[in-house]
Amino acid sequence: MGRCHVLIWLRRTFGSSIGSKALMACTGLVLIGFLFAHLGGNLLLFADADGAAFDAYATALEHSPLLPLAEAGLALLFCAHIVLGVRVQRANREARETAYRVRRTHGARTPGSRTMVATGLVILLFLVAHLYDFRLCRPEGDSLALIVRERLASPSGLVLYGAGVLALGLHLTHALRSALHTLGLHHPRYEALVDRASFLLGFVLGLAFLSFPLVFFLGGAA
Amino acid sequence: MGASPTTLRLTLHVWRQASRDLPGAFEVHHLEGISVDMSFLEMLDVLNEGLTSQGREPFCFDHDCREGICGMCSLVINGQVHGPDQEITTCQLHMRHFADGDTIVVEPFRARALPVVRDLVVDRSAFDRIIAEGGYISTDAGSAPEGNALPISTAAADEAMDAAACIGCAGCVAACPNASAMLFTAAKVSHLAQLPQGEPERERRVLAMVERMDREGFGGCTNERECQAACPKGISVAHIARLNREFLRSSVLGRS
Ligand code: HEM
Ligand code: FES
Repeated sequence: MGRCHVLIWLRRTFGSSIGSKALMACTGLVLIGFLFAHLGGNLLLFADADGAAFDAYATALEHSPLLPLAEAGLALLFCAHIVLGVRVQRANREARETAYRVRRTHGARTPGSRTMVATGLVILLFLVAHLYDFRLCRPEGDSLALIVRERLASPSGLVLYGAGVLALGLHLTHALRSALHTLGLHHPRYEALVDRASFLLGFVLGLAFLSFPLVFFLGGAA
Repeated sequence: MGASPTTLRLTLHVWRQASRDLPGAFEVHHLEGISVDMSFLEMLDVLNEGLTSQGREPFCFDHDCREGICGMCSLVINGQVHGPDQEITTCQLHMRHFADGDTIVVEPFRARALPVVRDLVVDRSAFDRIIAEGGYISTDAGSAPEGNALPISTAAADEAMDAAACIGCAGCVAACPNASAMLFTAAKVSHLAQLPQGEPERERRVLAMVERMDREGFGGCTNERECQAACPKGISVAHIARLNREFLRSSVLGRS
C-alpha cells in the first residue's frame, strides 16, 4: 500500500460514523484504566495524617523518566476523545434539523446516556481547572499532599471537585456499555451484566473520587 | 369493569406542510364519535373525509397494507414513533389506547435525511440508496435450489430471520435521538452476513452501505437503544453490534 492509500484508508475508516465512535470507545476505555491508576494514587492521601505516603508517591512519579511519555499519551487520549466527541455530537445534532413538538422516550434512554455531551463538557472544564490547581500552578518544593488538602478543604474546592467527579460518574454509567457495544462486543447473555457493570463503574468511581473533596472539606471545616 | 366510553371526542394537532421547501405548522381539529375499535389510520380517514366534504385539503399520510407488513405507515403520535403501544406499526394502533377528551399530536418522522414531502409523508428513498449499495446478493438465482444443499445452522438462520423482519419503516431513525439509521442498516447487513449466500460480498457490502448511510446525513449511534424500543418488529440492537463488528473487521482486516 502506498502512502496515499493509507491516508484514504484512514479517512474512510476513522472518518466514518462507526470508525470515529470506535476511536472514542478505545480512547475512553484507556482513560477508564487511567482513572483506576489515578484513584489508586489518590487513596494514599488517606494512608497517613501528614501526607508522607502520598508525597513519596508523587516524588517518585515526578522523577520517573516515563512521566513525560505518560503525560503526553494522556494528553493525546483526552484530546482525541474530546475532538471526536465534539465532531460526532455536531453530526448527530445536524441530523435532525426540525425538533419534534412532543418527544417521549420509549424507555430505553438513561440519565447517563442522555447527558453524555453535557457531562463530557463539565469534565473538560473541570479538567482544565484541575490541571491548573495541581500541575501548572504549583509552588516548587511544597508538599503536594498539603496543597491538595488545602484546596479541597475550601468551599470552592468542594463545589468544583464535587461537580467534576459527579459529572464523571454520570458519564461513566453509560460509557462502558456504550464503548463495548461500539466495538461490537455484545452478547444477549451478558447484556444485562454489562449494563449493570457499567452503572456500577460510574457509581463506584464517582463516589470514590467524591470522597476526597468530601473528607477534606468536612475535615478541614471541623 | 367501569363503563368506559365506546366513542371518543378528540382534539388533534396535525402537521400541515405544503411541500418540502415550505415551512409547516400544526393545525387543530376536533373529532367526535370516534369508535374505540377504529385503527389510528381509520380515525385519520374520518378526519380527512370531514375535511374533503367541507371542500378543504385532506392530510397526506403514508399507508398501504394496513396490517403491519409493508412498512409504509409512519407518524410520531404524542411524541412516540408508531404510537404508544409496543412492537406495532401505526396502522395496527387502535383508538382504545386513547381516552375520551384526549389531545393527540400527530407529526411526521423528523430527520434531515428523511425530508417531509407533504404533511405527514416523508421521503424515505435514502433507505433505498443504502440498499442499492449492497443490501442484496448478486448470484444468479435461477430456480430454487435443493433445500439441504446449503448447510446453515439453525441459530444463524434464526438470527438472520430476525434481522430480515425489518420492514424499512424508518421508525428507528425517527426514534433515535441522533436520527441515526444504524438499526436499519444493521438489520440488512446482519441478515446477509450470517448466511452463506451473503458471504461473497460480505466485506464490500458493509463498507459500501455504511459509507452511503453516512453520506445521506443520518446521525451516528450513541447506543441509547431507543430504536430497538420503538421498532415495530422488535429488532435488537445486537444487530448494531454485529454491524460494528463487520465494519471494523472489514476495514481493518478486509482484503479490499
Ligand atoms: C476521564 C474522562 C473520560 C472518560 C473515562 C470517558 C469515557 C468515555 C467512554 C468509554 C465513552 C463511550 C464511547 C462509545 O460510546 O463508544 C465516552 C463517550 C463520550 N464522551 Fe467521554 N470520557 C471522558 C471524558 C470526556 C470529555 C472530557 C468529553 C468532552 C467533551 C467527553 C465526551 C464524550 C462524548 C460526547 C461521548 C459520546 C457519547 C455517546 O456516544 O453517547 N468525554 N466517554
Ligand atoms: S400500512 Fe403497511 S405496515 Fe402499516
